[in-house]
Amino acid sequence: MKKGEKEEKGKMDRRIGREDLENTEIIWRFPLNEQKKEENLKTIRQAVLHKRIRKFPSFWEIVWCQMHFQSWRHWIVQGGVLLTAFLFTYMLQKRKFGENDSLAACSVFLVFAGNFCLNGVARLFSRNMAELEQTLYLNLKQMVCIRMVEAGLVDLGILALFVGTMGRGLESGLWGSLFYMSVPFLWSAVLYLHMLRISRSRFSVFWQFAVGMLCGVMSFFPACIAQAYEPKYMQIWQSLCIIGVLLLVVEVSGIFGNIERGDNLCLS
Amino acid sequence: MPELKLDRVTKRFKNKTAVKEVTICLQEGVYGFLGANGAGKTTLLRMLCGVLKPTSGEIRCNGIEIGKLDGEYRQMLGYLPQNFGYYPDFTAGRYLEYLAACKAVPKEQAKEKIQEMLWLTGLESEQNVKIKAFSGGMVRRLGIAQALLNDPEILILDEPTSGLDPKERIRFRNIISALSKGRIVILSTHIVSDVEFIAGELLFMKQGKIIVQGDMETVGRCAEGKVWEYLADPEEAMRLNAAFAVSNLRNEGEQVHLRFIAEECPCKGALSVPPGLEDVYLYLIGHE
Repeated sequence: MKKGEKEEKGKMDRRIGREDLENTEIIWRFPLNEQKKEENLKTIRQAVLHKRIRKFPSFWEIVWCQMHFQSWRHWIVQGGVLLTAFLFTYMLQKRKFGENDSLAACSVFLVFAGNFCLNGVARLFSRNMAELEQTLYLNLKQMVCIRMVEAGLVDLGILALFVGTMGRGLESGLWGSLFYMSVPFLWSAVLYLHMLRISRSRFSVFWQFAVGMLCGVMSFFPACIAQAYEPKYMQIWQSLCIIGVLLLVVEVSGIFGNIERGDNLCLS
Repeated sequence: MPELKLDRVTKRFKNKTAVKEVTICLQEGVYGFLGANGAGKTTLLRMLCGVLKPTSGEIRCNGIEIGKLDGEYRQMLGYLPQNFGYYPDFTAGRYLEYLAACKAVPKEQAKEKIQEMLWLTGLESEQNVKIKAFSGGMVRRLGIAQALLNDPEILILDEPTSGLDPKERIRFRNIISALSKGRIVILSTHIVSDVEFIAGELLFMKQGKIIVQGDMETVGRCAEGKVWEYLADPEEAMRLNAAFAVSNLRNEGEQVHLRFIAEECPCKGALSVPPGLEDVYLYLIGHE
């Protein structure tokens, strides 16, 4: 073959190659079994029809759901507690009570406020609701978490308010007043949660009230000891605070353990 | 279509084994769990709902352990507990709204679904009434409504008809029959007539074990040739009543017509009759 002919053939081959490439889809398409294709499409369509599309709510939607369905009484109590805390601080500052009296009063107030706030958690376990709530998408464990965080935030707010406003003027300072106020609060929360944990669904309003009163009375105890708020006893307060925190962790994990095992959620 | 598989599921409490090595596979259809009080039905149902954890064994939904499916499994679930809980200060409508939100039913669907369920259970006119004013039957109907709210693929009903009058029970049976397509419906009861007409599969539980499982025909075969009818004089009737499990007894003039369960013909003249579900229940559960 001559050189010119070779070039011409090469050009032709390249042209055929390009055209082939352009038509690859047509040339190399496998023969389709239309019947099988229809059958498969039918199966897929049926599977799609039967597939239930479920919506998974976001974290904030879950929180909103819990807040939205709280009773109006709950919000009145929470708002009332916060408002009373402000008025209480204002009154204590105005009247210039003694250091010990102010600390004792704040401690007792904080204890009652804590119990009021935990009422939202106790409600979840009331009236046999726990068993049903545990089977919902937003289950009991998550509900308890949300309510505990809510109660904790309100309590922390009040504690910060008391420590911030009262603590500055006290001899024991911010740090000292934090311990004096938080120890009765922690121990009362431990007692409240312990009662909630052991009483299953029978933690009635009466028991809540009784435990609340008992905690309130107990928080008066340091005020009865003349030197209880003296700096030399700070180590005892610190130890009690650490033990209180540890017990609180034990009680909270106990509640979650109960929910996880489920035995205590069911009445019979 | 969901499939629930229980593999050697056992639940032990402190000193009692409530459920012993139960192995079953549940697919689309209505399943009726029958058994005496304390047979382990409620414990088994609670494990199916994820409220109780099995001591040993596994429960799988579509091949995945239900604990691992977590929220995804609970979203498929509708549950009516034996001791149905409610907040008495809620109205029926608000209670269903609350549960719809907790079941992650989208807001736009929830309203429609709540109305549908209230209508289905005959509580439409009571939606603004506080639950504390409800009768026992109304509370039970509300329980059925909440279980169906999220259009569950797995519907578990523990003693659903307790407290319902006969008309309500028939209405309930019809609702369940109509809704059974495409779901697993599990009913636990000791009222035989609750499941007789609607359950495709019957499971008899005794002392934590499933002793017999099958459709009405299969189950009926267990008591075939063991059900007898006899017209006795009062004295003999008393003797037979003490000796055998009697499923029916009625006075006919001076004589007493008895229907009872016995392995063999207990007396001359007794007629062998085809067993009903109550006879099978008595034979399997009541007859020791």
